[in-house]
Amino acid sequence: MSKYRLLAMFDGFDPAIDTINAIKAEKLAGVSVDDITVMSPIEHPDIDEILGDRPVNIQKFTFLGALFGVTFGFFFLSSAQASFLVQPQGGKPVIPFPSNFVLMYEMLIFFGVWTTVFAFLWMSGLFRKRGTLYSEKLTVDQVGIVVEVEEHQLENTRAFFNDHNALEIREEKA
Amino acid sequence: MAQVIQDKIIDENLKWSQINQDVIRSMQAPGKAYWITFAVCVAMFLTAVAAEIYQYKVGMGAAGLNNPHMWDMYIATFVFWIGMSHAGTLLSAILHIIHAQWRKPIYRFAEAMTTFSLMTAGFFPMIHLGRVWNLYWVLPYVSDRGIWPNFRSPLVWDAFAISTYLSASALFLVIGMIPDLAILRDHTKGWRKKFYGILALGWRGDDRQWRNFRKTYMLMACFLIPLAISVHSIVSSDFAMSIMPGWHVTTFPPYFVAGALYSGCAAIMTLFICLRYFFHMEEYMTKNIMEKTTKLTFAIAMVWTYLNLIEFASTWYGHNIYDKEVLISKATGPYAVVFWTMIICGSVVPFTLCFQKLRRHMPTMFVVSLLLQLGMYVERWMIVAPTLSQAHQPHQWDVLWAPVVQWAIVFGSFGWFALLFLVFVKLFPSVSMYEVKELTFHLQHEAEEEKWLADQEKHATPEGAREKPVTGRPGLEGA
Amino acid sequence: MSFKNILENFSKYRRGAEEGGHHEYEHRWGMAIDLNLCIGCNACSTACYAENNLAVVGKDKFEKGQAMHWMRIERYWDDADAGRDFPEQGALFLPMLCQQCGAATCEPVCPVAATYHTPDGLNAQVYNRCIGSRYCNNNCPFRVRYFNFWSYYESSWPEPLNMQLNPDLSVRDKGVMEKCTFCVQRIRTAKDKAQRENRAIVDGEFQTACAQACPTGAIVFGDTMDPNSRVTKLWQEHEVERGPYTSKKPKQNAELRGYRIFEELNVDPSIMYLERVRETEV
Repeated sequence: MSKYRLLAMFDGFDPAIDTINAIKAEKLAGVSVDDITVMSPIEHPDIDEILGDRPVNIQKFTFLGALFGVTFGFFFLSSAQASFLVQPQGGKPVIPFPSNFVLMYEMLIFFGVWTTVFAFLWMSGLFRKRGTLYSEKLTVDQVGIVVEVEEHQLENTRAFFNDHNALEIREEKA
Repeated sequence: MAQVIQDKIIDENLKWSQINQDVIRSMQAPGKAYWITFAVCVAMFLTAVAAEIYQYKVGMGAAGLNNPHMWDMYIATFVFWIGMSHAGTLLSAILHIIHAQWRKPIYRFAEAMTTFSLMTAGFFPMIHLGRVWNLYWVLPYVSDRGIWPNFRSPLVWDAFAISTYLSASALFLVIGMIPDLAILRDHTKGWRKKFYGILALGWRGDDRQWRNFRKTYMLMACFLIPLAISVHSIVSSDFAMSIMPGWHVTTFPPYFVAGALYSGCAAIMTLFICLRYFFHMEEYMTKNIMEKTTKLTFAIAMVWTYLNLIEFASTWYGHNIYDKEVLISKATGPYAVVFWTMIICGSVVPFTLCFQKLRRHMPTMFVVSLLLQLGMYVERWMIVAPTLSQAHQPHQWDVLWAPVVQWAIVFGSFGWFALLFLVFVKLFPSVSMYEVKELTFHLQHEAEEEKWLADQEKHATPEGAREKPVTGRPGLEGA
Repeated sequence: MSFKNILENFSKYRRGAEEGGHHEYEHRWGMAIDLNLCIGCNACSTACYAENNLAVVGKDKFEKGQAMHWMRIERYWDDADAGRDFPEQGALFLPMLCQQCGAATCEPVCPVAATYHTPDGLNAQVYNRCIGSRYCNNNCPFRVRYFNFWSYYESSWPEPLNMQLNPDLSVRDKGVMEKCTFCVQRIRTAKDKAQRENRAIVDGEFQTACAQACPTGAIVFGDTMDPNSRVTKLWQEHEVERGPYTSKKPKQNAELRGYRIFEELNVDPSIMYLERVRETEV
């Protein structure tokens, strides 16, 4: 038995939120609220609330990146300064803390930003292929809900979305 | 009611499809005026290229520098462009984390301004080098001879800070643009569709992407604020870390940061008005947003004025004869005209921003914003030159006015900046579409909420306690 | 290797000038310049031009302030109100050259470490490494660093004058900072010779070009670490000491004329000047 993916488009957030609430109340057989995907032109905090706890882990990467930047910064700088071409200047110590701290600070941010960006590209699944279900209206003002159902539930699901004022339903074989 | 409408940032009933259309329209089919401006900018840039080639061939003497004046307009211009880059961060990062809604229609071009002015500023430390072909020695690369740059030097800090800032602000610009690039991918044709399709990185706007996007945006904003402040503090260290009178000033880091935000805000005002008129963005770049920007500019202008006065006062009471001599010669010596231009443009002209009539009058604001920038440019020059003219060793006192080669390169840098900006407005959305949508959404719900509260007051019955309408405040609970 | 190095020598790497600095000095070259003896003849400057391949820039560029005189005679005049018959009477000469500071402000600001403090107590300038950011001269209170604003060598020594160039050191091209080296090529030669002969350098064995050329012997050059050198004795005689500036001792004795220029900036200059005694004070 094959699985199908359905995309239902809604006019704005209110009908979409109603639909998600209905799915949450288990009105749609075989679909859990944890499995649905909501696509929207803007971010809506209420949707996050209804969808429940879906964690974001980017900040952990950021923290590690920043930590790496600052420690790497110190060891990199002081080992460069203490290398065999020691050059004392201006009566300052060979390993001067004030200037190294400035550079460590910059390296903290540099590595922090880059790890954040790479973590974003990876964690948000931007490059992941998840079927071709998409509508250009999603970038105008409509909100889409994607669910995955078994073949025998197709009719049922379509009817469910139509009941909840879906403007358009697209489907494809998963 | 009229007052309420006037206080609205933008019209909340703007159709979302209309927003897409308006922005896409602003990006298409450059007209004659655009190409003429473009050609002028190219000509300006080529002037600078010619001057630089000449200087490269014959040496730094072409720039008219001499023994006390080892630095002049190049460094002042460098500081000016770095300073201008700070306003983008102010609008996009600082106002983002304090949830100022009015930034949304204008932060995109401010961010682009940040990136481009950094790309302009980056040229100047190179141009001013005597042996620019050895520029890469400033970078910490692994060499078999174990030679490293001198990490004590504020110029190396500059290299670190600027490369960090440039990459971070460019990434911030690009990441923040992804949802808009997806809009463009969906609603353009031909090569543009392919181009934006690649840049949009497969953005579909699903909930996982949005969640991660918000988090990333907030994290980057949190990084950019201390970064921007550190960048200009480090630029000020080029001066403050020296022992020269008039440079070795404790208040320089905050003074530079305030000056940076100041000139950046003035630049935002200029570009705001240009975009409003030439790209017909009246509905997005409203007079109300302009008012808020000018108020912000005024506040920063006063901070700058205060720090300026503090610097004078501490020099005066500190009674270090070297410092004091420099200060007196700034105000009364050969550079007095420049000094008083700085005071008038930087501290007096901003008082025009106190009047609502003037704040809402765009031509006046355009002139004022240019005057403020002039004031801030000469401020940078007043930091660099007079100290060198009158430092410790009296035998080496001198007065220097920059010759044409320096002027040409400085002039050309404006052409280069404008060129980048012109390309940007035609290739990328200069108004953030998705955030304007969020803004209208938010305003609509605010209006609904107000109406609901008014209704509640009218019939204060217990059974009237309907469920409160969704007070969607998109983008606010991101972190 | 580096980590081990850091761990083993960390306290040494953290020692600033106040704690004696990183170096265990072999020599600390220094000078004493007696302004009483200086007649402002510019012989020192000329000798420096000949010894160090200094470019002759011509009148135009000299007036623009682009000259390359590592050793310059600064002229100052006393107050015009001092009631002199002729203003020239108040003329003062100050031979100004790189002070080879112990805590030189020019050094830490160089982005590529082209200038540093040698174990000889010199402030070395590495021409090959210089990229010409010119920050060092901006941070030099004495303004004694000179930048090659043009390719001076192209016109400075037309044939056959190029034959007079000193082969012991290079000719600098445009974009490089240069300054007085205390005739480091002579120091090198003397050190090499002493090493070959397995002995210590004798005071007066060699001199800098300026000291050699001074007709009145106003410039005394030597090793301030050598207790028997003339320069050390002069420093001691006038109670001038190396090291950070503490505070000016009240002048007990009119004979103590020694001072170091801008000592209060804490740069620890290696040149002691002996104040000029004016006729009005006598």
